Amino acid sequence: MYRQEGIGKKHLAILEKIKANLEKLNEKMDILIELRQVNEKDTLKLPDAPLDVITLLNMPDHLRKTAVAICRNGRATAEEIANQTNRARAMESSYLNQLVIMGYIKKQRKGKKTQFYLAKDGGELL
Amino acid sequence: MSKLIVVHSYKGGTGKTIMSVNLAALFAKRGKKVAIFDLDFRAPSLFAILRAETRVWLNDYLNKKCEINNVLIDLSSRISGEGKLYAGLADPSPAAMQDMATKGSEWGKRVLSRLISLKEELIGVQKFDYIIFDTSPGLQYSSMNAIVLADLVVLTTTGDCSDVNGTKRMLSEFYTMWETKTGLVINKVLDDEARSNNAEYVKRIEEEYNVPLLGAMPCFCEVLKAEGRYLFPQDKPDHPFTGLLYEIADRIEKKHYTLTCGIQKHHQNTV
Repeated sequence: MYRQEGIGKKHLAILEKIKANLEKLNEKMDILIELRQVNEKDTLKLPDAPLDVITLLNMPDHLRKTAVAICRNGRATAEEIANQTNRARAMESSYLNQLVIMGYIKKQRKGKKTQFYLAKDGGELL
Repeated sequence: MSKLIVVHSYKGGTGKTIMSVNLAALFAKRGKKVAIFDLDFRAPSLFAILRAETRVWLNDYLNKKCEINNVLIDLSSRISGEGKLYAGLADPSPAAMQDMATKGSEWGKRVLSRLISLKEELIGVQKFDYIIFDTSPGLQYSSMNAIVLADLVVLTTTGDCSDVNGTKRMLSEFYTMWETKTGLVINKVLDDEARSNNAEYVKRIEEEYNVPLLGAMPCFCEVLKAEGRYLFPQDKPDHPFTGLLYEIADRIEKKHYTLTCGIQKHHQNTV
């Protein structure tokens, strides 16, 4: 009887320790989830976030048309994009600059021409 | 010229892979430099159709474990003439299929940029004439990426009513978002009137789907029985299937598909 009571207390102590550890673990997981949510928000603002098909789907029609043209061309000037989209060059320049500010494409001046291209993630192999 | 041709469908079993392989072989037979890739990571089939061996898969390229040249298998010896034919295969092992099916959104984001790099390298640097993507049916992530990048989508369908309905919906609700240049191939047709040289039939189909018809293929038992043993333009040059393939290739090269899917909708929305 005495022995059974001793084992019971020991079990109870172990269970309480497990409970305390689980609570600590939950606290750490909550912090991790919060950090992840903050990181996800930051990722969207990162200038080098690569463009993906879901992002394209969620874009307004006018910007998607420009972004898809850049994807298909790889690299192009506003005039080249305008020729393909049948829109005014000035309008395409505006849309392309919006995409640059949003971080989806990059801009590079080569002599008198300004080229736009997709902002890709690092090219190194894993 | 359409550099990147994506062969796609709403449902499986519409003849995408046979169409992709034989179109690639036909262009190579015409002296072009061609690469065909299996983008159906859920059910890879190109390795079996081409009976090709490799240890480096397209999966490895998309996972940034290798360069695209490591993936390409040179199959040019299977085609007579000056043309070049290469293939990049999807890994058919269950572990690889499971791996691709469980990839997260971060990985998904990189696929588009990897495919753009592939296109830039092969067309821009290595001067390939054509890249052909054999995709998975429906709107899988890899297929959507391919459609975004395509210079032309060859959309294969059959007379099956669920396929017809789904194909029309996919065209009007998804393809229109990308203004993808699209040509339709109707496979396994049973109706004698259903021929791409029958003007009335072509008119009816083009009005029904609102895209140009590239070809209508009767159900050839020899093609089904061949199970990929033949590259028809090389091994069976006189077969009617080969003749119809040439018609489709001619329409692709002469840009018969100048209509762009969704262009009317776009004008209504933005102008």
